[in-house]
Amino acid sequence: MLKCVHKTISVGVATLVLTSISAFASFNGKREAVDGGMIYPRANGIYTAYRYNDQNISHFNYGRKPTPNELKAWDTDIMPDGTGLPKGKGTVAEGDELFEEQCAVCHGDFGAGGLGYPTLTGGDRASLTNQRTPGKTDAPKRTIGTYWPKASTLLWYIHDAMPYAHPKSLSWDETYAITAYLLATNEIKLDGKEMDDDTVLSNENFLKIKMPNEDGFIPNIDGPNGVKNVKAFLSDGKNIGAVGVRCMKDCKDDGAKLVVVKDPRTDVNPPFSEVRDLPKKPKDSSIKPGQEEYEKSCAVCHGNDKMGAPDVGNKEAWAKVMKKGMDKVLATAIKGTGAMPPRGGSSYSDEKLKQIIEYMYSKSK
Amino acid sequence: MKKNDKTSTDSSSLVSDKTSSSRRNFFKKAAVYSASAVAASSLLSPVKLSAEEKDDKFITEEQPWATSLGYELNKHPYGVPSPYEHNVVRRTTPLLSSAGDMHAAVSLTPLQDLKGIITPNGLFFTRTHNGVARIDPNKHRLMIHGMVKNPIVLTMEDIKRYPSESVIHFLECPANGAAEWKTPQFDSLQFVKGMVSCAEWTGVRLKTILEDVGVDPKAIWMLAEGGDGSSMSRTIPVEKVMDDAMIVYAMNGEALREEQGYPVRLLLPGWEANLSVKWLKRLEFGDKPWYCKEETSKYTVLLPSGKAIQHFYPLEVNSIITSPCPEKPWTDLKKGDIVEIEGLAWSGKGTITHVDISFDGGKNWVEAKLKGLVLPKAWTRFSYIYKYEGKELMLESRATDDSGDTQPTVNQEKKIMGVEGVYHRNSINTWYVKANGEVHNAQMRS
Ligand code: HEC
Ligand code: HEC
Repeated sequence: MLKCVHKTISVGVATLVLTSISAFASFNGKREAVDGGMIYPRANGIYTAYRYNDQNISHFNYGRKPTPNELKAWDTDIMPDGTGLPKGKGTVAEGDELFEEQCAVCHGDFGAGGLGYPTLTGGDRASLTNQRTPGKTDAPKRTIGTYWPKASTLLWYIHDAMPYAHPKSLSWDETYAITAYLLATNEIKLDGKEMDDDTVLSNENFLKIKMPNEDGFIPNIDGPNGVKNVKAFLSDGKNIGAVGVRCMKDCKDDGAKLVVVKDPRTDVNPPFSEVRDLPKKPKDSSIKPGQEEYEKSCAVCHGNDKMGAPDVGNKEAWAKVMKKGMDKVLATAIKGTGAMPPRGGSSYSDEKLKQIIEYMYSKSK
Repeated sequence: MKKNDKTSTDSSSLVSDKTSSSRRNFFKKAAVYSASAVAASSLLSPVKLSAEEKDDKFITEEQPWATSLGYELNKHPYGVPSPYEHNVVRRTTPLLSSAGDMHAAVSLTPLQDLKGIITPNGLFFTRTHNGVARIDPNKHRLMIHGMVKNPIVLTMEDIKRYPSESVIHFLECPANGAAEWKTPQFDSLQFVKGMVSCAEWTGVRLKTILEDVGVDPKAIWMLAEGGDGSSMSRTIPVEKVMDDAMIVYAMNGEALREEQGYPVRLLLPGWEANLSVKWLKRLEFGDKPWYCKEETSKYTVLLPSGKAIQHFYPLEVNSIITSPCPEKPWTDLKKGDIVEIEGLAWSGKGTITHVDISFDGGKNWVEAKLKGLVLPKAWTRFSYIYKYEGKELMLESRATDDSGDTQPTVNQEKKIMGVEGVYHRNSINTWYVKANGEVHNAQMRS
């Protein structure tokens, strides 16, 4: 696979040099990126198809140094090795109460789900090998107990992101308590022992939690070779399903049959439509009766006073008009007067005209 | 119109009308404006047509928009699409949300209606974990610290003062097509592939800022944290940061939309869009990964072995035929019509080099033409001119990139990844074109 890749690239480069037809000639990339993909050279003001400013000026020195307090306020992440673990403690029983008050509405009693929001407890790790292929309906259960590799993630995430509508509202003591409760309901052990109602979880014993699925993830990202491991892993297509072949004729795909969508889902919003028409009148309360007709047929003259029409927004002018009484004004508008054509040049009904005039007046009070 | 007609509505006479205020002029102007309400004229003395001929009344009759005054040009200081395009919108489904709660959900781009390689800002797909944050740009700060020589705090003014670059890149949610792992579920291009969009992004290369900051060579990881309610965070290898990562504040020529992280987001070209952290407020450098919620509980790919892939960054080579598609079928075509098959291809690992088309579900392929700009980690349009025969087709596209990757078949991908991984599905898609031109979502699979 790799061999063939290099061939393609060198052919691409040769084409570029010989005929200088760039087309998509790989932009001189090399398959050396950390994601297993291409890195493109950036030199002499050229980067792939882009030009950039290569004056090579660096060191702008914008911004300023954060204060120690600012760092303290924002540097609140918690790492698996205990870096950033805040002081605090709470019991499973306290967590139980807090969870019921603040979390169960969405995550269900005991975090068991069922309400559409993420399920936090239940299932067993053996389920992770479940595959819902035809005839098999049991899903893998990805919960804190079966799936999450690190307990620090839970403490950090609950504090920063939950409860959903009021994130960052829990104290650290409360966060330790809820975390203790969720670990206990997931039957996770603290220092090798099951957790009961009175178990206290704190910054002192937090690192003694053992997550059951800690070794469930590949590649290994820990240690100084973490990034190298990722790069090696992602660069091998067999690891990530990048095994497509550019076959052109009589290609084999054993057992493949046409499967056409059956009972397609239609629960989408807004409903599917490719029609080009005017939207149904929105029941937009901000659009007043008569407003649209005014804008369409009358605003051209009544939007300003240049023509001698009583301009909408001009209190005085409209006070003078309306002093005559609606019946008279409407009659004049129907008949037309001076530079005002009959019905303003429209064919609106008397009733509609009245509505428009009421709108015009309402905007001029 | 008469040459010396003062009532003409060309702009010069409008200007002079402003200063003139004679009653005579009012009257003339009024006459002109009210004339616009005169009914549509019809064709004078029409010719008799032969039996096969038929007049199109939209040609022979005047239409209202041609016989009336349009609306004032400043009606929408910020322009809006024609109301006739009101069905071209992002769509959501409760299936891709938490309990139908649209604060933690995804909205999908109407790929069937897009042209070229740029997604309009109002149609860019959106995924949020705690709703769309509304941030006051005057109060927003970006802090860069950790294993660095000179930690800094930047305001938006500071960030915008750095030399800027503009690049065209797609962003894709790795869950794009996730509903289709086990079987086709939607009969819609928008829902099969709509968690991807492509824009021109403007901002500063992160490397430029980091030259001042001075990253410790032992720091191999960077934490990026968002300023939204969920403090969305991810761990990123410094190697990527120093390659093509950017801090961007503009898309398609204007400020980022709030849904895309206003006022500022990270941009990691080609990688899971979730890594391009929105509402970016903090970057911390370190020598260990952070194990954030979105790189442990989520955005990890469960394999049939029960092990899961973590830190699975690149969106692999992908493509989809956008015309025809379930939303844009061939039901109006006649046998023998010439029609363009068109689509989009992209790869997070490099640049598209080839797209092939199959009419028989992947047995035989012909190469399509690429068209328009062909850029790294960006949407690339492909095209194939086809003579429609009114026959049943199993229409597929298959893209290849310059890293040497070609899209796998459903079976090839399934064999390694299983069907429970949720993320990173990039196998070949099939449109089943019926003899009557209807197009339905399908897969070739065993
Ligand atoms: C209003 C509903 C709601 C409430 C109340 C709520 N959550 Fe959540 N929770 C969510 C949603 C929605 C998500 C998924 C967010 C996302 O998409 O990233 C979530 C995710 C989580 C997760 C991660 C689940 C996983 O598998 O990735 C944990 C843990 C969690 N919540 C704990 C809590 C705790 C503890 C509380 C109470 C202090 C709480 N939640 C209150 C809605 C809620
Ligand atoms: C071609 C320009 C023009 C249009 C279009 C127009 N108007 Fe007028 N309108 C005028 C002028 C000029 C006057 C003042 C006439 C005068 O006092 O000599 C006026 C006066 C009026 C008055 C005051 C009548 C009175 O009793 O003083 C009303 C009410 C009115 N218009 C309503 C409307 C409505 C409703 C429409 C739209 C359906 C409309 N106009 C469209 C030019 C126009």
